[in-house]
This record gives sequence, structure tokens and C-alpha cells, in this order.
Amino acid sequence: MARVKLSGAEIVVEELKDEGVEVAFGIPGGVLLDLYDILYEEKEIRHILMRHEQCAAHAADGYARVLGKTGVCIATSGPGATNLVTGLANANIDSSPVVALTGQVPTSAIGSDAFQEASTFTITMPITKHNFLVKRTEDLPKVIHNAFYIANSGRKGVVLIDLPKDVLAGVARVDLHPTWTFAGYKPNIKPNQVQTKKTAVVLANAERPLILAGGGVISADATEELRHLAEFLGAGVVTTLMGKGTIPEGHPFCLGMAGMHGHIYANRAINECDALLAVGIRFSDRTTGWQLDQFAPDATLIHVDIDAAEINKNLQVDIPIVGDVKLALSDIIKWLEKKKRTEGNSKSVWVQRIREMHSACEDCIKDVRSAGSSISDRLIKEISEILDDDAIVTTEVGQCQMFAAHYYMTKNPRTFISSGGLGTMGFGFPAAIGAKVAAPDKKVVDIAGDGSFLMTCQDLATCVENDIPVVVCIFDNRYLGMVRQWQELFFDKKYSHTGLGITPDFVKLAEAFGCYGERVEKPEELKDALNNAFESGKPAVIDMVVGKEDKVLPMIPPGGGIIGMIGTEKCKHV
Amino acid sequence: MQTRIISLLVEDHPGVLTRMSGMFTMRGINITSLTVSPCEKEGLSRMTVAIDGSESELEKVRKQLSNLIEVVKVVDLKDEEAIIRDLCLLKVHAKDSGARSEVMQLAESYGARIVDATLDSVTLELTEEPERISRFVELMKHFGVKQLFRSGVTAIGGGGGGGSEK
Repeated sequence: MARVKLSGAEIVVEELKDEGVEVAFGIPGGVLLDLYDILYEEKEIRHILMRHEQCAAHAADGYARVLGKTGVCIATSGPGATNLVTGLANANIDSSPVVALTGQVPTSAIGSDAFQEASTFTITMPITKHNFLVKRTEDLPKVIHNAFYIANSGRKGVVLIDLPKDVLAGVARVDLHPTWTFAGYKPNIKPNQVQTKKTAVVLANAERPLILAGGGVISADATEELRHLAEFLGAGVVTTLMGKGTIPEGHPFCLGMAGMHGHIYANRAINECDALLAVGIRFSDRTTGWQLDQFAPDATLIHVDIDAAEINKNLQVDIPIVGDVKLALSDIIKWLEKKKRTEGNSKSVWVQRIREMHSACEDCIKDVRSAGSSISDRLIKEISEILDDDAIVTTEVGQCQMFAAHYYMTKNPRTFISSGGLGTMGFGFPAAIGAKVAAPDKKVVDIAGDGSFLMTCQDLATCVENDIPVVVCIFDNRYLGMVRQWQELFFDKKYSHTGLGITPDFVKLAEAFGCYGERVEKPEELKDALNNAFESGKPAVIDMVVGKEDKVLPMIPPGGGIIGMIGTEKCKHV
Repeated sequence: MQTRIISLLVEDHPGVLTRMSGMFTMRGINITSLTVSPCEKEGLSRMTVAIDGSESELEKVRKQLSNLIEVVKVVDLKDEEAIIRDLCLLKVHAKDSGARSEVMQLAESYGARIVDATLDSVTLELTEEPERISRFVELMKHFGVKQLFRSGVTAIGGGGGGGSEK
């Protein structure tokens, strides 16, 4: 392409368009005036003005998780950038592709403690996959191109570009859309054939194979391969929180989420299997529990991940496979298909066992309507039944999140969006905004707690102003519920600073912003309330009054192992 | 626990040192010595990092370093194959002629050079393997060490190769 003379701000916008950016979530500021001056005229990029930078980052993250496409957020220097930090850390630990643009004071003022100066470059270094501080206007094309490439390749993540005022205002002759790569960045894509073949042999010879699927399967768009492998092999499938949606929950081989707040049968299957194929996961403590001798003690452990640094990080495995999850699963299937079906060990007894555990799990969920279940259990079950399979659910963090993880039946990939690694309260609502912008034709519901929602609720204004009708369902127990639950179970019911008092009135809060609001006192009222919310066409808040001391059970107590769950009374023992 | 030496080839960009050392802090691993210098390739720098850690910690560090975008090459320099050097500058008390001649004699036996001398002190320079320098420093403590500077280790793979590349 011929050299063109453009301002830094113009270069940024041209390169964003070249990268296919259609939406940016942001808030302007003094040092970004040049950029926003160009965005004012720009028709191809929809800029959504957020009300807090943390929400801009979460919205970009939610958008990216729904589409698989890189989300973009923009914030000004100093407080704008520091407000982004939580959102960026959240996206990065969950391997969500996000590019953040931050304004910076002019290069000549850097280091002078100028107004709204913060060292965004150093602050964000440990919470991004990579970041850039651009010093010259002419470097912008390659920096932006590389930022997008790094964010959405290999193990996906966050890339931040810090843009000093003079770099944006300055003019340079540049070649747009360059190709340029770092010598040190070569994501491991192709899996090792010896390892995939070895895996196929282990799986064929196993009597009790199990697949543990994580967010990496969704990130690699490998859910079809995963399901095919499970069915071909007769393997059970359990997931992590991030892996919800890798296989339809309700599939006869699916035993749901494993781990600390997982299904008892999912955990039991991990304990019983003799070959465990862990795909796109990082063996977080929330998945493995803390007694690692209970975690797949009899199994050959196989770990497939795009990030070599995850291999043997938290758990020593027998067969590591580094590479793209989709390619690795395809290779394993290819090797298995080459063998005759009669080769290897029969899985029929295990398939029977999986079905038995699956139906016990279904019964356990069905029983939720019966007496003795908490209002929270019943509400989440209602939500799961009312929403269609294509609806997108986002969650806040805490009890509401774990109710959703446990009882919300996720059928499709990229329809369950939750803060897995960082556990960020306030994530769900802005993530829902991003999700709704990404998929305007789908229903988007944030499953929230009253504690979490108050952390980012100001962006109801964004929803109203930009016509983004998401529905927030609040599990309103006037407590920081998960911490309270731990205080109840492990700290002698000393509810130290977890009570939230009686304010606010969430219905009036919604109405004050121009949203639809309704209160639900009984689970059976929820269906009408949700329909009212959807029919209003407005952003909506449904305040669901739940039992103050409802608990998420069963659970692995702190320090416990995956077969040491407590609160299993309502689970059928099979 | 033993000392491990990692040699890195990194892009010569501002912030690379912060990014690299930040990674060690983040992963809870202590750097015992670090040197940064230009290398044979333009636009790249060489860092030599010594850490105290187990084999598994070393493996983790190696992989996390490889993940850094600006790290071009990570080489694990095994003790037995590598040529490892540390530079030491040492100012020793030597008030009387007896002490002075003893210091000079020991310095000679270790191959240390006298780079400066005053009436009551001698400044020595020694480039050697880190352990041998430590032994020399211990000896000099007998006379009283006024000041001690060590550069930190730098290392190169022995023979024709460049160490085992990961």
C-alpha cells in the first residue's frame, strides 16, 4: 500500500477498521481528544459510551467471549487507565481476546507527574499478555496490527496500547496495514503426532475414560470435535466453570461441572476414571480441590493445552500435548478411527455407569421444585427452563454464579459468560452489555447478586442511552452471600461485615434510570416477570427476593478433596 | 535447591527488563543475579539470570519466559557445560606491610589483579567462577573488606553449541 500522510488518531482508526473492529466501548478524556475527534465522524465503528472504565473492559470482554472476535475498550490516561485494570486482569486470566487503548500524557511530560498521569505501561504489564507504550506516530500501524495478532492468537489474552497525546496528534507518513511480527512470538499450534497417537492408544485401552473440558475448548471452537470424541469413545464429559457449553448439559454423557461447587457425580467420575483427557484447562484449585490424591488417582492423565506453561504447572501429567485444541482433538479422533472399533477395551460397563450418574444428576436437578429446596435453587431452575437454548447468560460472582453454574443448563458454547479466574464482582452486568451488543437478536440475562450488581449498576444509563435491553435478575438476599455462607459453615455464623442493610430498592433504582423494574417474591412469579421484562423492550432489573441464608450446596470445604463434598443430603447416592 | 542459570535473548525495547523481572516476582521466584548486555545481534540484548530453585521451578520459569513476547530465545545453561564468570571488585584493609604482602600473595595465587592501592588499602579485581570468587572473598574478610562489588554472573555455552535451547 502506498505511503499516506495521516495523524496518529487517523492511523489508529484506520488500523482498527482494517482489523475488523465494529464496536468500541470507552470513555474519552483530555489526552484522547484527537482520537475522539476522528471517532465523531467515523461511521464504521460504533462507539458505546460507558459510565465507568471497568465496565468498558468487561463489556469488551463479554463481546469477545460471545463472538470469539477481539473486543476493544478505550480509556483516558491516569484514572481512566487505572479503572480499566480490574477488567483487563479479568479478561486476561480467562484468556479472552481484548485490545485496550489508553490515552497517555505527551511523551515530553512522561515522568513529570503531570495531570492525570499514571504509568499505565508498568501497571498493566503483569495483567496483560503484552502491552505497548507508543513513542512515535510512525510506529502506530505495526503496533496496532501486532496487538490484534497477539490478542487473538495462541493463548488469547489482553493487549494494551498506551497512546501519548502527541503521538495521536502528530502527523506521519506511514504504510498502513503492515505485516510485522516479533521474532519471539510463535504460538505452538500443531500438536505433536507421537503424543496424540499415544493418547489415542491410552483412550482406546481405557475401561473408564473421562474428558474434562475447559474454556480452551470454546476458545478454539472445538466443541463439535469434543462431542464427537466423547460419543465415539464412550467417554463421560465433565467441565470446568469456563467449560460450560463445551457439551450440551443434558447430553447423556455429560455429568456437568466438576470441582468445588460442581456436581457430586462429576467429581465422582473424576475419582473413578482410569484415563482423564483434560482439554483446554489449567487445573485451577477450584476444579481439582486441595487433596490431589483424590483427583483421578487411578487415571493416566493427558493434558491438552495451547499454552506450554500450563503443562505440569498445577498438576503433573503423564501425556502432555501442546497445541491448538481443535487440531489435537481432530488428531486423536483420526488415530482412534484408524483403529478398528473392536480394538482396545470395552467401555460398556462405564457407559452404563455414566448414564446412571447422569440420570441421578438429572433427578437431583428435577427435585429442586420439591419442598426443602431453597428459593434460590428454585429460581435458577426457573430461569433455566424459561430461557431458550440460544439465550446468553452472564453471571456476577459468588452464590448467584455458583447457583447458575450448578443448575443453569447450558446448551451451546459462548452462551454462559462468567468470571472464572479472577472472580470479579460486578463483571456480569457490563459483560451482558457487551454480549447484547455482540448478539442483539439473542436474549441476554445477567444472573446477579445484590452485592455484585451495586458495583457496576451505574451502566444502566449506558443500556438506556444506547438501547441495549439486557435483563438483570438479582438474587437479593441483602448479604454478600458466598462470604456469609462460609462464615455460617466455617466461622461459627459470625457474619462479619457481610450484611448489606435494606437499601436500595432495586425496582426504583431501575426506574430512576429509565429501565423496567419488577420485584418477584415467589419463584412461580418469575416467568411472568421475565416475560414482562423482555416485552418491555427496555433494559430491565428483576429483584428476586431469596432466602437470606440460602446456601450453594453441595461443596468441597476449604482444604478438601473432590470426593469430600459436604451438603450432599439431597443428592441421590449411586 | 541449586543455582540455575538461564540465558535469554530479548528484544532491545524499553520495559523488557521490567517485564522479565516482573514475571519472576509474579511467579514467586527469587533472582539471585542478573546481568544485561548487548549481544552479537543488533536489536537484541542478552540477559543472564541466576535463580535458586528446583528443577520443576526452573521448568516453569523457562516456559513463562518463553511466553513473553519480547523473549526471542531461552537457553538453560547447565553447570557442567557452561563457562560461567562473575567479576568482583574488592577493597581490602592493608594497614601494615605484613598484611599488604599477604593480601598480594593470596591475590596472585587466585589470579586477582591489583587495580588500585593506597597507604591503608588495596583494591583487587578478580574475574572467575562465582564459587571461586566467594572463596577468595572469604579469605579477604580475614584482613577486613571495606567494600565489595560483584557484577553478577554471565555465562556462555561451552564447545561449539549455544547450550540447550528450550
